[in-house]
Amino acid sequence: MKGNRRRAQGGKEGAMKPAEEVRALLERVLARVRAPRALVQYAFQRGLATRFGENAILQSSGGEEEFLRLEVAYGRRHGSSIVNRTDKAAVGRLVDRAEEIAASSPEDPEYLPPPGPQAYPGVPPRWFESTARLSPVEAAGTIREAVKAARDAGYRSSGLFEAGAGARALATSAGLFAFDRSSSVGYSTTLHGPAGSGYAGRDTEEADRLEARSVTRSALETARAAQNPQGIEPGDYTVVFEPQAVADLLSFLFWNLDARDADEGTTAFAGRLGEAMFSETVRLATRIDDPELPAPPYGQDGLPMRETVWVERGVVRRLRHDRYWAERKGTEPDPGLYPLFMDGEDRPLADLVAQVERGLLVKRLWYIRYVDRRELLLTGLTRDGLFRIEGGRVAGPVQNLRFNESPVVFLRNAAALSRSERVGPVKVPGVLSERFTFSSGTESV
Amino acid sequence: LKDFTDAALNAAAAAGAAFADVRIVEERENRVLVRRRSLKLVDETERSGFGVRVLLGGAWGFASSTVLGREAAARTAQLAVEAARAAAAVPRQPPAVVAGEPAHTDTRVGPCREDPFAVSNREKADLLLAACDTMLNVPGVATAAGWLGFLRRRRVIANTDGSYLDLSTTFSYPHLEATAVAGEESQERSYPGGARQAGWEFIREIDLPGHARQWAEEAVMKCRAEDCPEGVMDLVLDPMNLALTMHESVGHPTELDRILGWEANMAGRSFVRPADVGTLRYGSERVSFTVDNTLEGGVGSWFYDDDGVPMQRFPLIRDGLLVALSCTRETAPMVGWERSNGCCRSDGFEHVPINRIPNLYLEPGPDDRLSPEDLIAGVERGLYIEGQGSFSIDQMRNNFQFGGDLFWLIEGGRKTRPLKKATYQAQTRQFWASCDAVAGRPWWRPHGVMNCGKGEPMQVMFMTHGASPARFRGIRVGAARL
Repeated sequence: MKGNRRRAQGGKEGAMKPAEEVRALLERVLARVRAPRALVQYAFQRGLATRFGENAILQSSGGEEEFLRLEVAYGRRHGSSIVNRTDKAAVGRLVDRAEEIAASSPEDPEYLPPPGPQAYPGVPPRWFESTARLSPVEAAGTIREAVKAARDAGYRSSGLFEAGAGARALATSAGLFAFDRSSSVGYSTTLHGPAGSGYAGRDTEEADRLEARSVTRSALETARAAQNPQGIEPGDYTVVFEPQAVADLLSFLFWNLDARDADEGTTAFAGRLGEAMFSETVRLATRIDDPELPAPPYGQDGLPMRETVWVERGVVRRLRHDRYWAERKGTEPDPGLYPLFMDGEDRPLADLVAQVERGLLVKRLWYIRYVDRRELLLTGLTRDGLFRIEGGRVAGPVQNLRFNESPVVFLRNAAALSRSERVGPVKVPGVLSERFTFSSGTESV
Repeated sequence: LKDFTDAALNAAAAAGAAFADVRIVEERENRVLVRRRSLKLVDETERSGFGVRVLLGGAWGFASSTVLGREAAARTAQLAVEAARAAAAVPRQPPAVVAGEPAHTDTRVGPCREDPFAVSNREKADLLLAACDTMLNVPGVATAAGWLGFLRRRRVIANTDGSYLDLSTTFSYPHLEATAVAGEESQERSYPGGARQAGWEFIREIDLPGHARQWAEEAVMKCRAEDCPEGVMDLVLDPMNLALTMHESVGHPTELDRILGWEANMAGRSFVRPADVGTLRYGSERVSFTVDNTLEGGVGSWFYDDDGVPMQRFPLIRDGLLVALSCTRETAPMVGWERSNGCCRSDGFEHVPINRIPNLYLEPGPDDRLSPEDLIAGVERGLYIEGQGSFSIDQMRNNFQFGGDLFWLIEGGRKTRPLKKATYQAQTRQFWASCDAVAGRPWWRPHGVMNCGKGEPMQVMFMTHGASPARFRGIRVGAARL
């Protein structure tokens, strides 16, 4: 605590360090390192979060923090340490601790030395002053409009307005320096009527793209339509998943795209490389050129991000290799998975609904967990609006259902896609899929 | 630190705050992670900062900083005041107030007989590498992984009531798992015991290397086991399995903030209403749950919560009847309660404290002679489930589906053979109403949970659950599509 007081007297708060200052800081860290190999990372994040519920703001908060993380190695013996200070004393503790740990560690047969200088691709901007300047006042303004819309309908609103601005950097003893800064703003809201609810949310880097009113309007429209759901029997249904629900379900599939896990036989992708696992409409790729979902310039260990196709026409083309496994397998390492894109088709979601004679429209999923990882069998529930489709039209709300189903089956049975939309770190379309298994129901709304 | 906390509190009071607190958090964390025969991570983190919370004009504001000095304290308090003023644009009705609480001055240090930070990282790494090596040497095991984590957290809490608290706790959180592969089948088996507020003595007690072979062999056994049949069966659940079941179906539904609708956008609400206290039949007469934030070794035993309220022990459900809810100084007045029962916690200096599940356990049955074998003997056809696996529950905490880590078929009153891929599915109150027996106190075991996510932004919290094995009649099993 004494060291912290010293930091306070000499410290400067409230300013994001420019790239040159961060570079100088990381060089000071590396200069102090005696171990032959080192990788040091810097992160700064300033954020605000305003939370609301029952038509009132419940929490209004903000803060900032910076970190240094250092990994050093003697041969294959490595150790790391982290501090949330950048003053000289903290840097001293950071280095001493990492070196002490590394010196006494056993050899790691999978250790790889840090990479040297890299050439980074041009990526769309991820930093916007308009976002970095957002304050609790702007957050409250957005929420005030949501609450008014809810009150006018006799509903209750809840949600989160969150914004942040940050920087990260990486430097290695092999001469690499990488720097990246980004901003983010997200807004989501749930509107509850007497017997049903609706949800909508949006994330973006640029405050002007948030369009919070349309988010609120979407949640309100769903909530209105979702009132007084009727009972429905569980079973196998033709489903139309909105992009939010697609992103919810596929998140587990994305996390399983690891090459080593597949090679060891523990995931659904074991032995499936080159195989048509999914409908031929399915294409999954990491992209770095979309301004609506911009990629960082670098990923794992400072490697440059690049476009990578994981699934093409339903066939698994590649699984993600970390640096060690890539070396073992004689291939290039994959710097990152996100931002991840599932290509859609140029038509609105309503066109998918129009193709369904009898089925269900799914807005959002909740509490998804593995039932069996090898089969990628998942369970979870629908939430905030589940609707019956009859004769190509949305025919009314039904009660929520629990599913036990695999996203592999979901994509294998995909018959049609709509336009892709951003949902957090992915961009996915609405999906019409056949024979989706729901196993039980709930009266919870 | 008193000068520092006074600077923050004085700045808040000068701005007109009806209540303010400042919470300094210093953390030291050590992690060692092994995967296969590779030491993936060995590190140590040092992190500190403080948060200031103010109640101004019936609205809350919060700000945090890592700069520990008088000027920064006052500046951060001012930011919290500005945040509260912004929040007042969408005001609570009635305006927010805090439940009364006497001033407390206390210094406490939690249990830790053997300082884990004094144990060398080499010893920790060697322990995990040995355990993983033992697992990998079992034919059929494809991969093994484990970690040892140690967290020491010091919280200094001061508030405008006049409280000043200096509280230190040490948590040890181990893990070990084996994954076996047989053809197109893959199954896992894990260390079942959870975390504890303790030091290195806990790691020695649980003896991960000594159990590694057994767990690895059980993973292989699961690969070869039959799939769980579908139907309606009786269940006997071990304490580690019950820990997650009670967490999701009892702990979360009885959080007052969730009941009030404050979690509606993310974690959901609850089927419980405030008026249900004293009237709602939650389970059978065999079912009694106790909140015990004074539990020795409990990872939720923090002496005082982040509202500055002494942690307590009280009944939540007695003989099947709901008799209390967990609450905070903020939520208690919303339902007319004068005092909080001490269930307000934050996971770090940078987050607003919120209503959290406390240490919560199922009381053992009244007959100390009643053993797990006695429970099994009373089942003609059913499942005995150990450990934790899949878990999912709806946003109102009604419909749930849980798995486990090891499954045995019970036939004619005895365990006959292992199964795999078992799930049980029920509605919360139906499930607890079906409980007809709980084994005695000698079989009661705690389980420390270190990964309870709640809130927006997400906070990750710790609490200990506990139970003796318990029996449930007529539960739907094997409903998953396999």
